[in-house]
Amino acid sequence: MSLTTFIQHILTGVSLGGAYALIAIGYTLVYGILLLINFAHSDIFMMAGYFMIFAMATMPWPIAIPVVIVATVILGVLIEKAAYKPLRSAPRMSIMISSIGVSYLLQNLATYLFSALPKGYPTIAPLKKVFQLGPVSASLVTFLTPVLTLILVFILMYLINHTKLGMAMRAVSKDYDTSKLMGIKINQIISLTFVIGSTMAAIGSILYFTDRMSVTPFSGTLPGLKCFVAAVLGGIGSVPGAVLGGFIIGISETFLTALGYSTYSDAFTFMLLILILIFRPTGLIGETVTDKV
Amino acid sequence: MTEQTLVPVLELKDITMQFGGVVAVDNLSLQVHRGEIVALIGPNGAGKTTAFNVVTGVYAPTNGQVQFKGQTIAENFPRGKMETLYAGQNKGVYTAKVWPTPDLITKKGIARTFQNIRLFKNMTVFENVLIAKHMNMKAGFFSAAFHLNGREEEQMRQESLKLLEMVNLLDLKDEIADNLPYGKQRRLEIARALATAPDLLLLDEPAAGMNPQETHALTAFIRQIKKDFDLTILMIEHHMNLVMDISDRIYVIDFGELIATGTPEQVQNDPAVIAAYLGVDE
Amino acid sequence: MKLNNKKTYPMLSIAALVVLAVLLILLEINKNTFGMAVSILQKSAILAIVAVSMNLLNGFTGLFSLGQAGFMAIGAYVTAIFSIPTETIDSVYYTGGLAPWLKAMKVGLDVLPGFLQISLGILAGGLVAAVFAALIGIPVLRLKSDYLAIATLGFSEIIRAIISSPQMDKITNGSYGLKNIPGFALGLDFLPAGIGTLLVPFSVAGLCIGFMVLVIRSSYGRAFMAIREDGVAAEAMGINLLKHKEISFIISSFFTAVAGGLLAMFMRSIEARTFQITLTYDILLIVVIGGLGSITGSILSAFLVTAAKEWWLRFFDTPLVIGGVTIPLFRTGFRMVIFSLLLMLVVLFFRRGLMGNREFAWADLLSWPRNLSKKASSGPKTGKGGKKND
Repeated sequence: MSLTTFIQHILTGVSLGGAYALIAIGYTLVYGILLLINFAHSDIFMMAGYFMIFAMATMPWPIAIPVVIVATVILGVLIEKAAYKPLRSAPRMSIMISSIGVSYLLQNLATYLFSALPKGYPTIAPLKKVFQLGPVSASLVTFLTPVLTLILVFILMYLINHTKLGMAMRAVSKDYDTSKLMGIKINQIISLTFVIGSTMAAIGSILYFTDRMSVTPFSGTLPGLKCFVAAVLGGIGSVPGAVLGGFIIGISETFLTALGYSTYSDAFTFMLLILILIFRPTGLIGETVTDKV
Repeated sequence: MTEQTLVPVLELKDITMQFGGVVAVDNLSLQVHRGEIVALIGPNGAGKTTAFNVVTGVYAPTNGQVQFKGQTIAENFPRGKMETLYAGQNKGVYTAKVWPTPDLITKKGIARTFQNIRLFKNMTVFENVLIAKHMNMKAGFFSAAFHLNGREEEQMRQESLKLLEMVNLLDLKDEIADNLPYGKQRRLEIARALATAPDLLLLDEPAAGMNPQETHALTAFIRQIKKDFDLTILMIEHHMNLVMDISDRIYVIDFGELIATGTPEQVQNDPAVIAAYLGVDE
Repeated sequence: MKLNNKKTYPMLSIAALVVLAVLLILLEINKNTFGMAVSILQKSAILAIVAVSMNLLNGFTGLFSLGQAGFMAIGAYVTAIFSIPTETIDSVYYTGGLAPWLKAMKVGLDVLPGFLQISLGILAGGLVAAVFAALIGIPVLRLKSDYLAIATLGFSEIIRAIISSPQMDKITNGSYGLKNIPGFALGLDFLPAGIGTLLVPFSVAGLCIGFMVLVIRSSYGRAFMAIREDGVAAEAMGINLLKHKEISFIISSFFTAVAGGLLAMFMRSIEARTFQITLTYDILLIVVIGGLGSITGSILSAFLVTAAKEWWLRFFDTPLVIGGVTIPLFRTGFRMVIFSLLLMLVVLFFRRGLMGNREFAWADLLSWPRNLSKKASSGPKTGKGGKKND
């Protein structure tokens, strides 16, 4: 592998990792607050892909993008209200099953509405513009993804660490019951979490699918699982952790594919998951907690 | 305890339990002798339940040793990150790591109850007790699965029924555990611990949430089972009437440290104990 | 499982079994007329095995595992390799050929009658899955319940990736999949050819489910339930958590793989894509609808869900014309949407499923009309939620 191809792969990997990181944030925030693996998150991401296809059919991209983000946020919050809120006091397994049910519903709905055949993803012209940096060439989206990811993460970190709402979010994820007693409006905070998660998923979806060119009802599943792994890898509940995990998985996947092991790249992600769960279940930058007996 | 020779059953030696930078139990040493009822008391957060969790294998101690009937059942010394973080004493005295899982401790003859009742809620009273018999089952998996151990299974059931009769829960045997009144749930939890045929019973706040009458009945119940099952008992309790009434000896800890020990009379008059409970004017 | 003090009516059970057997034999004889029913019954029986295995793990031991598709894939591929006739095997592996050691094994096994070879294949599939389960169980079963779900889901995907990878071409035929798998037939000389279409899946299902019921009713089953109810307390009662979780995981995986083997025979041709995560979800839904913690619920639900999905709800997928007006919505895929909505209704409003954690009993059925009127007069009873699981 020459230096040029190496840099080329790093660029592709970082870009994929950026998209993964954005999706992973949705998983990590929801898990942090509800202790729920939101299986439907991958399908929210997939639906955002379809929203973009339909939005771009009738409007120019600068309008389409905010429309898609709003639609995705509405979908995310709607799912929370309809499928998770009624089960607030139910055992955790029930909520997880409910999220699997929503995932199943969204996939079947997408198959029904848009058919199982791949639909072409619209081209956002400026994103596709190819840049030449010395011998390395890549489209704008490749450069933009990691930068945009980092900007969004910094905004999010500011929100979480320096605002009142962010403080409430941290309190809820630290101790659900006590924060309720402290007068924090739990439902509001949970909705906010889904708003943030869905926004990130919508942006991630645009960046991801622009590189992939097509969407199917099942194209969310595998990236979704990988992003959950990314969240666990970095330390579930932690936003910087999710970003770190996203980049690690994006880069390693790109290199494995480049080396000709593309069938094993998915397997590798899950190997990574099992290894991290054995040796460092709290993730790379998660904090340790002792179970109380 | 009168003129009997004292045979130590449980012995904690220099137990320190540190979570991160917080020392929950600090250099605690205590002995429980055969046939004694010993109480471990102290204000909330003093580290009593943590000490229980060390004895039962839920936590490995950070430093120190636990012996049961002369055998080391837990031992550890500060290692890894703890080596630099360690804020306790007696560093370097212990050199081995012994940390069996809680089920092995139970098999050795230590049974416990929990501060917040932990019954198998959706199972019947009878099943709750019967489960404790599983660990001593001789039949292997396949002979049990194909129900070839009929005699053993029958014996397990008979023993469980007998135990339920002894603790006066027989009439409730088919009731779902979660549906029992609070006091009965406490009693069932003790019965379930007894079904493991322990030598040493650890009771974690058995009278928590009980009214005076219930506490009174519990006192009699503990005396009764101690006699019937030839037990040694170590308990954590806040009800001072119960503690003073039933204990042979008392250990008082505060902020993880032992501050007094002795008979109920001695402890009651100890200025350090009074200070710990009531505070002192500086 | 509660202590059963109800009358058990053994005669009724025997009678029901006899009726069932007679019905199956009648269907078996007339299978060409009732093709649809036969195929649905076959599939239901197979899914019933997986559903009960999943229930053993999720409902009884409280371990939320989502590796079913992966274990089924293992069973399906092993069974397929054992049972594809040696004469046609080269035409199946027409790209890279079968690995020489497997070919040698197949030639060696040809001394046995075909039906024994297939049985060996099913058993071998189960055992391979059990070994995998034992190995991955050691790290994975220590994890908290939801991590276990993701780790097993990941395992399932790894298996699928490995099966379809070019490096496995000589064993799994890579992405081409396997075909020419013989269907259900006893293939015994003294019976008419083709007998077994229903008898094979039903008797295998009976044996598998029967064994799992025995396990659940043994002391080990009680230990599993204790772990589900409260792991910390179970451990304090002297139950070795890892050992018992491993046992439950291994049994469940074994029977899931057996069902995978049957599925290969049902489908006659398999490929890695058959064993996607959706398959696991389908089974989870059967278990949830039947009731977590109820064996009879899982069985009942396997039949109802399969029949509904493949048969009763079919009409949603074909355009509906009433009085010359084509009703919108009715077209391909609508059935699955309706089905997922039904499922969400169960998850949200009937969390206990068809049976909750109770089991079918004749006594309940016989007193049902009476209870119904009693219930109506006393108003709805507030159901206690499922089990706590952490």
